[in-house]
Amino acid sequence: MTLSREAIVDHLKNMVGPERVITDEQVLKDNSHDRYKKFETIFGVYTTPIPAAVVKLADTKQVSDVLKFLNQNKINAVARTGGTATEGGLETIVENSVVLDGSQMNQILKIDPTNMLATAQCGVNLGELEDRLREQGYTAGHSPQSKPLAHMGGLVATRSIGQFSTLYGAIEDMVIGLEAVFPNGEITRIKNVPRRSCGPDIRHVIIGNEGALCYITEVTVKIYKYYPENNQFLAWALDNMKTGFEVLREVMVAGYRPSVARLYDAEDGAQHSFDQFAADKCVLLYMAEGNQRIAGATAEGIAEIVGKYDECRPIDSKIIENWFNHLNWGPEKIIEERELIRKNLHIGFTTEVSGNWDCINTIYENVLERIRAEFPHIDDLTMLGGHSSHSYQTGTNLYFVYDYDVVDCKPEEEINKYHVPLNALVVEETLKAGGSMVHHHGIGKYRTPWTKAEHGSAYYILKGLKDQFDPNGIMNTGTIYPVEQ
Amino acid sequence: MKIAVCFKTIADYGRLSETDWAWDERHFVDTSFVRRIFNCFDESALEMALKLAGTSLNASDPAELTALTVDDRQSDLFLKHLTAVGYHHVARIQCNKKIDLRFNSLTVSDLISTYIKQEEHQLVFLGRQGGAGDNRQTGFLVAERLGWPCIREVTAVVRDESSGCLKVTSRIDGATLVQTVKLPMVLIAGHCIDSPYLRVPTLKQKLKAKNKPVTILSNTRLGIDDDTLINNGKTLIDLQRPQANRPCIFLEGKNPREQAKRLYAEHLKQVFTL
Repeated sequence: MTLSREAIVDHLKNMVGPERVITDEQVLKDNSHDRYKKFETIFGVYTTPIPAAVVKLADTKQVSDVLKFLNQNKINAVARTGGTATEGGLETIVENSVVLDGSQMNQILKIDPTNMLATAQCGVNLGELEDRLREQGYTAGHSPQSKPLAHMGGLVATRSIGQFSTLYGAIEDMVIGLEAVFPNGEITRIKNVPRRSCGPDIRHVIIGNEGALCYITEVTVKIYKYYPENNQFLAWALDNMKTGFEVLREVMVAGYRPSVARLYDAEDGAQHSFDQFAADKCVLLYMAEGNQRIAGATAEGIAEIVGKYDECRPIDSKIIENWFNHLNWGPEKIIEERELIRKNLHIGFTTEVSGNWDCINTIYENVLERIRAEFPHIDDLTMLGGHSSHSYQTGTNLYFVYDYDVVDCKPEEEINKYHVPLNALVVEETLKAGGSMVHHHGIGKYRTPWTKAEHGSAYYILKGLKDQFDPNGIMNTGTIYPVEQ
Repeated sequence: MKIAVCFKTIADYGRLSETDWAWDERHFVDTSFVRRIFNCFDESALEMALKLAGTSLNASDPAELTALTVDDRQSDLFLKHLTAVGYHHVARIQCNKKIDLRFNSLTVSDLISTYIKQEEHQLVFLGRQGGAGDNRQTGFLVAERLGWPCIREVTAVVRDESSGCLKVTSRIDGATLVQTVKLPMVLIAGHCIDSPYLRVPTLKQKLKAKNKPVTILSNTRLGIDDDTLINNGKTLIDLQRPQANRPCIFLEGKNPREQAKRLYAEHLKQVFTL
């Protein structure tokens, strides 16, 4: 028998205490969405079903008890910590969903300089962890723009990546061990060892599961020595993205690992005021860091490679350093953005994809060409461009950035008029060229139409995980896995 | 109705660290590595004028907008931006680079008022203060030189259709004033809640604006020679860092729980509502 909304709330209160079960209407509304629906929610419109309750979880035992109850009663559970998701993964699309808020599980459990590990509960803010590490001369090496707001659980759940990924890797390269709770209440711990050969690496069942398989309660990540005094910035202006991709590739293939390796097209660069220093040009920039010898050799090696390209003209590194130091999004930027959207009916989004070196420029060119040719509201666009910000031995990512005026439509119509079709054009062209449709935001709920196309025959494995760990389908319905009609 | 909006671009001072605030022998702080932005009060004035022009499209004398700045070529990008968002004319007064205009509202107002007279504008918008000088004088001095009335702390302007006048809203000492005024007039923009940000041009508008010219005038062409600008009776002797106390609010409450509740409701709630 399906439990009523009131019965769900009563049961939850009995399990965790009434003070931990929030039913305030505005809190429920705020927890029904993430940044994907930022436009309509800024105007006070909430089109997603409002959850029955938000449960402020205290510990792993409570997570287990609550999940077991929800599973037994087939109630949809949406895991949430910092709330900075961008792809609809936090939307409560099923009536009477329960939001499992882990933000109060916020203890840094251990910093272990001998083994170079830090263990934190899911609700620990990454910025706070980083501050604690830096006090002791270490860094987590993970620095997404959302660092001041994002929590460890959410970062691991979405396979997040940071601005220094080219040196430190993405979150999956940093996570050593985990604790997670499955919908049947099973608590699992994966131990912290440097490497092992004991069957498949089961960390990857949990990392990136977006709350669709289990609830992450604790994370252990690597830490690194922090040498900010050795950071070196390098930047060049160049005429076209194709050359930029070639340089990015050559640097990576030569074995250099700058912490930052970015390539902006002229349009996207102008958003960052690069046009004030390199009008109508693409901008290629690097940051070399690490101990003095490594940072020096990295900067020198990159400069030597770029120097072979006549097209590249140096930019004052101080400009890039100053820009980079102001890139993160804290609460004040969120407020400013909301204000700008409200006043000017103007909004921007991104779609991030990846591809190997042999197709990345094709993806870049084809996506932009197709949007210009096919998007019916192109006249409302104020910006269309992109950049690469995470490079690998084998390829790189692409961040397509599009801003637009919201014209002649209600707040709740904005998504389908603009964001969804633009997102679709990016994803389709990327898959067509052989790339991946999502680089680091997660699939969420809006790229699920292409989950099967993304994985092809390997979807069998992905589907198997859902069948095994969440047979009742209560874990964040509609995320990663498309809702079957 | 010919409208001129005077603006300046400034370095984004929020991006300078404490150690960056070092000056040379001419008392100039190096900001060459920091992006430039519209001075915020000027940005409001620019947007207010666009809104006014938008409401007067069908009027018998539609608004003709000019954006004017006294600066060197670093402002050209901003002037292009203004062309794209709807300014009919954009002009820049280029002075000899040796002339320090930062604390010299008198000179700047001479240049602006001379231009306004030459071009026969009837309405001048300016932001109330801005840039390194923060002088808060230029608007008043422009009005004085033109012999026009002036309203400060303006937050909105619309046409009064019946009289052919303007209805100007300003906010002074916590009171809101709405005045119906005849042109000519100088309006000084203050904290403007309705038009804080300049609109963003579409791709199409940007493309169209790309090849539109920027009018560049020298001070000599306006009939003001370099000596007059340099010998203005002002000498900058020294710069000093002001006391940098941050404003704070004391939250009253019976107990920490009540204080925390107030902190959330009054200050944090909007931050957490993503």
